[in-house]
Amino acid sequence: MATEEKKKAISRLKSMYPLRAEVDKSYQKSVEAMRAGKPVAWAMVNWWEGDVILKAMDLEVVYPENFGTVCASAGIAESYLDRADADGFPTHLCGYSRNTFGYTSRMMKEFGGEIPPEAPMGGMPKPVLLLASDIICDARYKWFQALGRYMGVPVWTLEMPIPGVKELFMEGVYERCINFMVKELREFVTFLERLLGRKMDWSILDETVNTTIELNRVWHEVNELRKAKPCPMHSRDFWSAMPASFFLLGDVKDTLELYRDIYNEVKYRVDNHIGAIAEEKYRLAFSELPPWHSLGFFDRLAERGWNFVIESWAYHPPIPIDLSGVSDPLERIARLTFQSQVGYFEGAMKEREYFGYMGYPYLVYAREYKYDGAFLHPLITCRSASTHLKYVQEMLMRKVKVPSIVIEGDIVDLRLFDPADALSKAEPFEETMEHYKKVRKEEGFDW
Amino acid sequence: MVAETKGLARAREIYQDRPRRAKELKAEGKKIVGYPCIYSPSEMMTALDLVPYRIFGDMKEPTAEADRGLPAAFCPIMRSCLHLGLKGSYDFLDGMVVAHSCDAQEKTVHVWECLISSPYFHFLDVPGTVHKASQDYFKEGLKDLKKTLESFAGKELSSEKLKRAIEAHNQQRSLVREMYELRKPDPPLISGTETLQVIKALMSIPVEEGNELLKQVITEVKERKDGPQKKPARLLIWSSTIDDISLIEIIETAEANLVVDDHCGGTRAYWTDVKLTEDPIDGLAYHYLVELRCPRTYMDAVYGETSKDYMADLESRFGYIKDYAKGWNVNGVILQSVRYCDCHGFEAPQIKDYLDSLGLPNTYLEHDYSEGALAALRTRVQAFVEMIG
Ligand code: SF4
Ligand code: SF4
Repeated sequence: MATEEKKKAISRLKSMYPLRAEVDKSYQKSVEAMRAGKPVAWAMVNWWEGDVILKAMDLEVVYPENFGTVCASAGIAESYLDRADADGFPTHLCGYSRNTFGYTSRMMKEFGGEIPPEAPMGGMPKPVLLLASDIICDARYKWFQALGRYMGVPVWTLEMPIPGVKELFMEGVYERCINFMVKELREFVTFLERLLGRKMDWSILDETVNTTIELNRVWHEVNELRKAKPCPMHSRDFWSAMPASFFLLGDVKDTLELYRDIYNEVKYRVDNHIGAIAEEKYRLAFSELPPWHSLGFFDRLAERGWNFVIESWAYHPPIPIDLSGVSDPLERIARLTFQSQVGYFEGAMKEREYFGYMGYPYLVYAREYKYDGAFLHPLITCRSASTHLKYVQEMLMRKVKVPSIVIEGDIVDLRLFDPADALSKAEPFEETMEHYKKVRKEEGFDW
Repeated sequence: MVAETKGLARAREIYQDRPRRAKELKAEGKKIVGYPCIYSPSEMMTALDLVPYRIFGDMKEPTAEADRGLPAAFCPIMRSCLHLGLKGSYDFLDGMVVAHSCDAQEKTVHVWECLISSPYFHFLDVPGTVHKASQDYFKEGLKDLKKTLESFAGKELSSEKLKRAIEAHNQQRSLVREMYELRKPDPPLISGTETLQVIKALMSIPVEEGNELLKQVITEVKERKDGPQKKPARLLIWSSTIDDISLIEIIETAEANLVVDDHCGGTRAYWTDVKLTEDPIDGLAYHYLVELRCPRTYMDAVYGETSKDYMADLESRFGYIKDYAKGWNVNGVILQSVRYCDCHGFEAPQIKDYLDSLGLPNTYLEHDYSEGALAALRTRVQAFVEMIG
């Protein structure tokens, strides 16, 4: 059958499935724990800065950003968005935030704090804490502050210093940022202890931090292997495996083992020149979040020889740094998270590309993963995921003569992404990629 | 060149051609330093004999150039600033001091730094919270700014000089507040349109010149007989940046006087003085991080509170708006924001809750910072004014 063949256009990693199953199981376990009355925190994605601490304090964590995706896929987001509109929130705000406002409004006003019956995947129970973060986007703390309209839940905002590229290399700045984060994290632990009426078990924290660091290291190594030609692992596997590290889902020790399995499989493929697609004609980068509901378009593109070899910087693990000599677990967390944000600044400084975190990494990826084109997917109601893309497009052309294709989508209005439109643009974009392959050759680039 | 016009006429003149005076000063050998938002501490520039010059957008111009670096669904003010930067309207600037106020601004200035070359460019990180550790971190950041400014200006910045600059800027703050006092009578002695022209002029010229201008304006306004007419509505506007009088004229051509405001083209930069501390940077750090009231900063009613009381939260965050409303005898509030502004967009419904709790009529308006938006705004404002009239 044609469809059967189409499904095989991407050769998925076998080792990804057990990890994915673990991810799905952890959602389920989490729902059960919450039903059983375990205290819950709603958290913004925070690049491990707060997650590891919440985990060590044995809080169940749900991510309203992630829940936004779930509601969108379940077709329920629209009703929550309408409700947020009716409650007076401007329609241009982050789609995930509006989804959360609508959901919370319904939960608090109509169900007295109980989960509304239509909520997908078990819903989000009323939390004891809202953990906001100022990494990357203002919405991520303004949104939790605004939830005060519906429920009297305390908010803690995690601080993330983010100096400019040049400024980071001024004397003492790096360590000052770390000190600032550590001080804030210590305050956060004290606050949590007061809130929960129990003490932090520092040995658990210590171990969880170490496992998280190692997990990120292994996951980074997996992605390093994707520089091989042909690329052994397609973006689809990245997106399936990513939540386990990004959200620290499930038991981190188990997750670590599963990432090791992925490493072994990908390494095997590299050693044996096995690509993720049958015939790799074009290597591509993908940015930002993928259109989760129509991932099939990746398969259609794979049939044309498009291999997606690297994706959005924000969801990738940081470039590993040696933290074994750092005894304070809070400092290790701070250094890990800080590295995730500024890990590319040194190169950015040398190349005078001052959008050092969201933008510049794509240039490094272009050279290292030798991609022929960038597939840019701005998300209309997620400003932060879209702001840098114009610049990325401009920089890639200016510096390495790599063209981009831009196809708009959204995080909650799934209809915005039109896979047919994306596919219709594939052929002309192949001509563009061919053209720039020649240009790069003429200009002395090695891909 | 000595200014021939004075007071309000002079303010209007500067408003209409902001770069003119800056270019004159540049010709005299001064260095002009741009800053897009009030979180850049002008005092440091003044103290080094640099001229701080606020970067504004221009809502009368389409923002085509900005497409090179920013998406369409993005803060239109920032898009406009980048557009003007890319087409060369700010080429006379010798340097830039930019701050991490909101994220739209932070990301725009990184793009700016990549695409528009400038002899000097400093990015000042601003924490999201006002915790003690945040204040300490911010203070050290200000010291870094001082260092790079010193090497750019080619001279040292002593504590004494910085204190004198703070005093001059505090004098400006106090004169601005005096000017706002003139809006308390009914009818107000100075209109919202005139006030915006003055504030925009202040943000385009050296502080001492601005102080002189303010004194002239205050004297002139007190003496003149042809000020604004009495009208039934006395409005307050809370807003993202307002930098064009057409947004104010909409209100003042309706049956309303705009008597007080809360935005960064109005009171926001001037409402509290910088405390003169032994180390002047302490006062600056506290002022810019803790005292400036912009929704970009996360504020708690009680630091580290383990329970949350929404009304107490609102009171601690917006109590100053109640003071404005009382002091200026306001009977209606316009909440306004440009589209795609997260900071003001999330804040607006909460301020609305607060104003509702005070029984103050209010309305929320949104626009895309273009001339095309004015007609719809006019209709909305008129309807609101009629409602409270
Ligand atoms: S705008 Fe994007 S990054 Fe910001 S809160 Fe919304 S989804 Fe998250
Ligand atoms: S209008 Fe809003 S998004 Fe734009 S610069 Fe101001 S605070 Fe930032």
